[in-house]
Amino acid sequence: MNAPKQGSGTEPAWVKAAANQSRLAFGLAVTELGRRDERVVAVGADTLDLIGLRGFIEHAPARVIDVGIAEQNAMGVAAGLATTGLRPFVCGYAPFITARSMEQIRNEVAYADQRVVIGAAASGVSLAVSGGTHHALEDLALMRSLPNMTVVVPADSHEAWHATLATDDIDGPAYIRLGGRVPEPPVTPVDAPFGLGKATCLAEGSDVAVIACGALVAPAVDAAKELAEQGIGARVLNMSTIKPLDEEAILAAAEETRGIVTAEEHHLTGGLGGAVAELLAVKRPTPMRMVGMPDEFAVVGPTNRIRARYGMSARHIVDACLDLLG
Amino acid sequence: MSNREALLRALREQALDIRRNTWRALHAAGSGHMGGSLSAADLLAALYFHHLNLRPEEPDWPERDRFVLSKGHANTALGAVLAQAGFVDDGFIDTFYAYESRFGMHPDIKVPGVEMCTGALGHGLSVGLGMALGSRLQGKDWRTVVMLGDGELQEGSNWEAAMAAAHLAPLRLTAILDYNKVQQSGHVAEMLGLEPLADKWRAFGWSVRECDGHDMEAIVDALDALPAAPDKPSLLIAHTVKGKGASFAEDTYLWHNNLVGDEVYEKAIAELGEPA
Ligand SMILES: [Mg+2]
Repeated sequence: MNAPKQGSGTEPAWVKAAANQSRLAFGLAVTELGRRDERVVAVGADTLDLIGLRGFIEHAPARVIDVGIAEQNAMGVAAGLATTGLRPFVCGYAPFITARSMEQIRNEVAYADQRVVIGAAASGVSLAVSGGTHHALEDLALMRSLPNMTVVVPADSHEAWHATLATDDIDGPAYIRLGGRVPEPPVTPVDAPFGLGKATCLAEGSDVAVIACGALVAPAVDAAKELAEQGIGARVLNMSTIKPLDEEAILAAAEETRGIVTAEEHHLTGGLGGAVAELLAVKRPTPMRMVGMPDEFAVVGPTNRIRARYGMSARHIVDACLDLLG
Repeated sequence: MSNREALLRALREQALDIRRNTWRALHAAGSGHMGGSLSAADLLAALYFHHLNLRPEEPDWPERDRFVLSKGHANTALGAVLAQAGFVDDGFIDTFYAYESRFGMHPDIKVPGVEMCTGALGHGLSVGLGMALGSRLQGKDWRTVVMLGDGELQEGSNWEAAMAAAHLAPLRLTAILDYNKVQQSGHVAEMLGLEPLADKWRAFGWSVRECDGHDMEAIVDALDALPAAPDKPSLLIAHTVKGKGASFAEDTYLWHNNLVGDEVYEKAIAELGEPA
């Protein structure tokens, strides 16, 4: 695989500004789009700094609308703006901007098929110390169940930048799942080409395939290295778009390996593992293991310990692969 | 007859036609929401045939005023007025609830003249606020009008939107409340009272006026006086009667939504009198 480029003197300014945080890369990309296109508007819910929109405010203060801590209103306002030809990006905390405004997202955004892009920061257990009220472990299930919705889970700040820019080509709604204040180690190159709906292969292998997204992509790569030391070839697919799913890449992995392990920072119900299982159950039944959050609420603690406790780490991916291969 | 008298007479006729066409749609479907459609008929007539700047032959005309029916269950009245204004064919009215029709219980954005899918209560004011912001951001003159129901004001999301609209003012945003005092399961005052309602909206930063929502002259006067204040969003509280125009359906939750067979239909149409 290509090693991510780090600290090169020629890297673009956004890389440093994003500081390995996908939420900041999203805000920087929205700001970049806002410079290119006067139709771009940011809608927040007391989330300007969460998303890193101060640059956009400096550039065009009128086009940054924060409605305060009122996610339902933020989503309705965004849909209304979109009907007038503007291009709103709604920025919020993943647990609130999805569940709190779910009905607005379903009706005014997805059903009405408006071009609203939702940037959801602090997803998964990135706010682990906050407790279960602030974890977002069901957001992919919610968003994935909506017709018209595109669902993207960038693996790092680099991919968050490119994914956000790529939404410029979408006519309908999109959901971009972002991290919190915990730095996300880069796992994709700064200049990696990004295609919505396209998985990227981060490691080749034909014994087992690990299909991961978001915060579990880096552990998946680590797991593949560990498996390689045991003589097992693990293919790693970064499934950064959950919907539409890259069926071709998944079916090829199912055909060319002995089984598939999915890995995500999300409940095991309804997320990436669910999406892959739904596809394979119908098109190509394949042995699978799923790494993710079990059906319970997490205890409080540092994010990495919470991930490890509930089975979302490189070691758990290795174990799942070994279990699958018997 | 003065121009104004002629206007009022024409608007009253349109309102009667909205009621006739509402019953026609309900009869075609066999049931539906009559109460809140009939209470809104005079307001809709004044909006579509006097107040709103629209081009029925060019429904997506960018400079048009925007209208959002937040109380989307009054879609029979909206379908009626859209047909009467020429956004859709007259035959659209007969497709209410029909298989693959775009005229279901609630407004569908795919219908010419419909600006948003509404009917999940408490959503319309936020959407209207977004439209009004869109107008201001693009330096446009067009206005946004949102029609609210009284029962839906029990949804907290309205108050998020109300607070934000006042904070983000000035905007060309008007809300019209079809205050028919009745909701699905009973009188609003008994279910979850809204009063003192005008005071609440004023406290939220809105300019509030009230009128008789069945007195066409009062409606037109109130609409002509908008915006009620230059730096605030406007709320027009229109006092109405649920089921207006059908004696058996007035002021009762039993006719919020009900069956409409031949007998009901003929009685309701007869009570509206002969078309002009
Ligand atoms: Mg009512």
